[in-house]
Amino acid sequence: MFEVRFHGRGGQGAVMAAQALAEAAVIEGNYAVAFPFFGAERRGAPVLAFTRIDAKKIYSKTQVYSPDCVVVLDDSLLDTIDVVAGLKPGGSVVINSRDKPEDIDLGISVKTAAVDATSVALEILKAPITNTAILGAFAKATGIIKLESLEEAIKRRFGEKLGEKVAERNSLAARTAYGKTVIGKSKGIKKLEPKKQWLPTYQELPAGGSLVEGKTDAGLIGPGSFIENKVMGWATFRPVRDREKCTMCLLCWFYCPEGTIVRISDRGDLMTNYDYCKGCGVCANECPVDAIKMVRARV
Amino acid sequence: MKKVITGDHAVALGAKLCRVDVVPAYPITPQTLIIEHIADFVNDGEMDAKFLTMESEHSVMSAAAAASAAGARVFTATSSQGLAFMYEMLYATAPMRLPIVMANANRTLAAPPGIWCEYNDSMGVRDSGWLQVYVEDNQEALDMVIQSFRIAEDKRVLLPVMPCLDGFVLTHTVEPVDVPQQEDVDSFLSPYAPDIMLDPARPTMIGIFMPAEYIMELRRQTMGAVESAKKVIGEINDEFAKVFGRNYGGMIDTYMMEDAEVALVTMGTVTSTSREVVDELRKVGKKVGLVKLRFFRPFPVDELRKALSGVSAVGVFDRSISYHGGGPAFNEIQSALYGMTMPVVNHLAGIGGRDVTREQIIKMFEITIKAGKGEKVNTINWHNTRGETV
Repeated sequence: MFEVRFHGRGGQGAVMAAQALAEAAVIEGNYAVAFPFFGAERRGAPVLAFTRIDAKKIYSKTQVYSPDCVVVLDDSLLDTIDVVAGLKPGGSVVINSRDKPEDIDLGISVKTAAVDATSVALEILKAPITNTAILGAFAKATGIIKLESLEEAIKRRFGEKLGEKVAERNSLAARTAYGKTVIGKSKGIKKLEPKKQWLPTYQELPAGGSLVEGKTDAGLIGPGSFIENKVMGWATFRPVRDREKCTMCLLCWFYCPEGTIVRISDRGDLMTNYDYCKGCGVCANECPVDAIKMVRARV
Repeated sequence: MKKVITGDHAVALGAKLCRVDVVPAYPITPQTLIIEHIADFVNDGEMDAKFLTMESEHSVMSAAAAASAAGARVFTATSSQGLAFMYEMLYATAPMRLPIVMANANRTLAAPPGIWCEYNDSMGVRDSGWLQVYVEDNQEALDMVIQSFRIAEDKRVLLPVMPCLDGFVLTHTVEPVDVPQQEDVDSFLSPYAPDIMLDPARPTMIGIFMPAEYIMELRRQTMGAVESAKKVIGEINDEFAKVFGRNYGGMIDTYMMEDAEVALVTMGTVTSTSREVVDELRKVGKKVGLVKLRFFRPFPVDELRKALSGVSAVGVFDRSISYHGGGPAFNEIQSALYGMTMPVVNHLAGIGGRDVTREQIIKMFEITIKAGKGEKVNTINWHNTRGETV
């Protein structure tokens, strides 16, 4: 059995990648399953997806804890998530990064395949949806699946849902990324502190789970505790406002779903708090005078 | 003060005596008289409560949840389809630990449409986390509204409570009810003072989204609250008996069980009729006794095992069917008595509001006595049902 764990962010298509990989395995005559694990579904939030491939029927319905391969669709996840947790000895990592494997610090030195899937996706798909590109890298890095099978699976899954043209482009993204993938070994220097989480016993949990403002060893809880959850890492793009063009109509301030645009009343100005901006682009879309441009925030 | 009033009127007076703050309401037979009486009390200035006429029962329970979360004492009433329409919100209010009290006038849940007494409405929500108590007369209906608020608001419990009264058999029947004095109720039931409530001065999150890392603990906690309720119900029953002179026995009540050889377990008004049947059978030398299943949640496992430990057979009355054979009370009692060796037989009667006669109850005892003697009887007995022989 070959087990894969995908780390992505909502909107990057980790689930679709896991499914397409499973389909490709089935095309090659294997048995495969793919399934997601979501937190609260939000674009940009970390998500997990899993694929299991075997020659015979797979009965296990639990998540993958000891993957043979970890696929990371967004290298900003490396700052907060120990993506190599449980990786089998001899396992590999496929990662969307502009860096070479030797420059990527995973905390352990393992076989690592890197590709700038975001650039491939932006160029071919015109959107930072990196799932099909990363699958191309996966095929090259693991040899578990043939590129042709992947392309066929992508065409089937995407074609059915989004039409032949989109399917062709995604297939091309996989092929292009396959060609650009660099295989090497990661650095193993940094020690990622395990993320602290407030996990009360049932006796400690306040009645009904109702919370007032509180502080625990794992950080703030209750109203206002989200102040600790900075999400700038979620954004592929971020809004930049042209003060000259801006008419201060406040539509962006009104529409921002996260309330990250702050009015500075004494200066009659606006400020975007990038700590909490997920880069959704609603502000740029709503701006009636095109004063807001979305620019690449990172990879 | 004795008043000759309907069960619905008694329940409404109970809510008034409890000085409830908010009553979101939607009418449904046979509960409508409850909220009509409350509407009158509020309109006439006898009751200082916010009376909200909602557009559906789902909204009633949503408003009840919100008001309760904001620290109000909330009462409402419903029945049958109305209770079914609230289903989602019932499952929300209990784990949120909101001590709402809602009377349910038991009525058959369609199909087929009908308005008379059956327990398939409240039995359908027995796993929602609401506590349920079934009463046998109008006095108990009023008294249990008062006790329900004490139980619900007890810090060891903090769960919504549903006093259930038989549709029409109580809701529309007048009988004398001793209406407690306001000052006595006031000293028995303090104003509701929650530790956590929605308060702009102190931001609070109630009913929040939870991932899998928390939900099992929340369920376990809710289970713990339901378990704690057993002790609280007993304490409050005893305190109520001291103040008001009426002792309902707490989780269960027993009648002539001391030397009983055979017992019938009943709920609601059938208990009342069965008391006379027990007297009658005792006169002809049959050592029969009665156990009244009062609380269905929490379920009185220990109390039943103790009360039934000496009998040779147990008959269980059910006023609704759980479509795998017997009724819900029968199945839960079988489970409660696991490991005990006496036969347990089920007596289905009164479904859809069919009158449960003394003759039927005598028949229930006869069948149970036979079972106790080791004679072969049906485990599930449909009484007075065409096509069935009991």
